[in-house]
Parts: sequence; structure tokens; C-alpha cells
Amino acid sequence: MEQLGIEPKLLLAQIVNFLIIAFVLTKLLYKPILAMLEKRKKEIAQGLELTEKMRLAEEKYKEKEEKLLSEARREARTIVEAAEKEAGEVKKSLTLEAQREAAVIVEKGRKEAEELRVRMQKDVGRAAAQLAAGMAKRLLSQVVSADMQHKLIAKHLKQLESMKE
Amino acid sequence: MSELHISLAAEKIGEIGGFPVTNSLLATWIVMGILVLLSLKATRRMTLIPGSAQSIAELVVGSLYDFFSSVLGPKIKQFFPLIASFFIFIICSNWFGLLPGVGTIGFPEHGKFVPLLRGGTADLNTTLALAIISIVAIQYFGFKTLGFHYSSRFLNFSNPIYFFLGFLEIISEVSKVISFAFRLFGNIFAGEVLLSVMAFLMPFIIPLPFLALELFVGFIQALVFSMLTAVFIQVAISHGEGEHAKA
Repeated sequence: MEQLGIEPKLLLAQIVNFLIIAFVLTKLLYKPILAMLEKRKKEIAQGLELTEKMRLAEEKYKEKEEKLLSEARREARTIVEAAEKEAGEVKKSLTLEAQREAAVIVEKGRKEAEELRVRMQKDVGRAAAQLAAGMAKRLLSQVVSADMQHKLIAKHLKQLESMKE
Repeated sequence: MSELHISLAAEKIGEIGGFPVTNSLLATWIVMGILVLLSLKATRRMTLIPGSAQSIAELVVGSLYDFFSSVLGPKIKQFFPLIASFFIFIICSNWFGLLPGVGTIGFPEHGKFVPLLRGGTADLNTTLALAIISIVAIQYFGFKTLGFHYSSRFLNFSNPIYFFLGFLEIISEVSKVISFAFRLFGNIFAGEVLLSVMAFLMPFIIPLPFLALELFVGFIQALVFSMLTAVFIQVAISHGEGEHAKA
């Protein structure tokens, strides 16, 4: 023992030394470093998880966008179609109405023309009768007596009247 | 220096209050101081994005943790401080002994050359202390994990064969202390002797490969010591698992 240099006091001192350094290293080195490694691991895992989540959200968002877009497109198409259809109908109905109106106007015109013709005929008849009466009166006043004249005139007027009808 | 001086024992360089201070004890204190300072530097201001000191500390501690968890599995948490301290303390002591000036700077006493510093693990007191701590810790963890059942490893009266095996186990534990202490001491001391002999014979260039070799030996011995401790702990805490499985 003596030759090997083993001395109880030194042995004890070295045991104490090692226990001290083990304790200090545990407090100062292992605990904080391992905690930090663990923390970083967690942080990285969280970061990856977040990235995955974001990726999923983006995908979902894109899908939604696509869906909305296609829906909007479809809607637009239906709206345009409906508008076209409506416009066609309006056009048709307008044309029909215009035709009807035109027919009405034409009818009215014709009627008016007819009326005018009838009235003119009547007027012409009356004017002719008056003219004839005047002429007869002037002619007869020289030949026939006033009494006769009146009788004749009345007779002719009656004839004229019936002729007119 | 006209004569090569080799001493198996660490030399006494002084005394503090009747307590003998040897050159290897002084070296141990210096190594402890360096370790404390380095750990402080590495962990004083920890950030999620590590600085250089923190990176190195994380690399060392992280790889030791992963390496020893391959031996001990998930139970590593409980044993890690002890095993990692063995590794770090031993490797630092080993390499400290290789530093220039350690073992060569000294003073004469009674006509003999006494170096001021000597590698901590080149002294049997240190290696024996480490070995005793290791074996005591193995028994402690055995009892702590298995309870009273652990004592059946050494004292088993259920069967004459088991009784004899227990006796052998006691001897093997004692021999583990000796093998731990002398393996480490022998390797490191022999390395230092080899280096001083080489330096004595040919001071330039020639010792360099040996120095590199001793660096490697220092690493390997630290690894062997901590690895064996880990394996023995694993054996101790899983004692009698087979019997339980049978029963």
C-alpha cells in the first residue's frame, strides 16, 4: 500500500472531490443542457406541427377558394342564361304587343276613314238636295203658283229623301 | 535532468493543516476548477439558438446521453449524472496529465526531482476513489431499484448453488473495485511513463505519435470506466428478472 502511494486521507479527499464535481456538473451542466435539448426538441416538434397545420389550412383554403370560384362561375352562367331567356321573352312580348297595337291603330284608321266616307256621302247628298231644291224653287217660281210650288217642292223633297235612303 | 525519475506513487508537494497535498491532488483541483468554469460558461446564458460554448456542451452532454441510453434504456435519467461525471472527470484528468509542463515542471527535494503536477488519474488514490464510488453506487442503485430483493444476489439460502454463487458475487464485486482502479491507473501511468521515457531518449518529433496514442488511450479509458459502470448498473438493477419471469 505504501509503495503504491495509497493513503486513506488522499483516498477520502479524492472521493469527496469526485462527489463535489459530480454534484456541481449535475447542477451546472447536465440539468440545464438536457433541459435545453428537450426544450429545443419540443420547439422543433411544435414548429413542424405548426407548419403541417398551416399547410393543411392553406390546402383547405385553396379548396374552398376553388369551390367558391366555380360556384360563382356557375351562378354567373345561370344568371346570364336567365337574363338571356328573359330578354328573349320580353322581346317576343314586345313584338306581339307592337303588332297588336299596330293592328288596333290600323283598325281605328280604317273605321275613321269609313265614318268619314259615310259622313261625306251624307253631306254631299244633303248639299245636292239643297241645290236641287233651290234650283227648282227658282225655276218653278216663274211657272207655278206659290201654293203649287210648295206642294211640288215637298213632293220632290220627299222623293229626294227617299232616294237618299 | 540527467537521470529519469519514475515514481509509482504521487509525490507530496505540501501540506495544508496537516493534510498532505500531492501533485495529483493539486491537478485534480485544477481540473475541477476548469470543469466548473467551462460549465458556467456553457450554461450561464443559455439560448435556444446556442453559442459556441453552449453548442459544444450540448454536443458532449447530448452524445453521452444518447450513448449511455443505448446501454441503460429509459432508466438513463437516474444514472446519467454519475456516469457522465465519470466520463468527463476521467477524460479531463487523463488529458490534463498530457499537457506540457505537467510532470516536467517541478522542484528538487532531498536530491530528488518532484514534479509540481501529475495527472489525476496517474495516482492510485484517485482511481481507487472512483472505483469505490462506482461499486458503491452500483449496490446503491441495485437496492434502490429492487429493494430488499437485491440482497439475494449475495446472500441466497434457498439453494446451495445460489448460496455459492452469492459468495462468488461478493468476490467479484471486490475484484471489480481492484480491476477498475488498476486498469485506469495502469493505462494512464504507463502512458505517462512511456511519454517521459520517449522524451528522455529523443526529445523531438518521436514522442508525438505516442502523445496522440495517449490522447486516444485517455479517451478509451474514460469510456471504458463509464461504460463498465453503466453495464454493471444495468446488471444490478435487472438482477433476478429471469426468476420473476419463471415464477
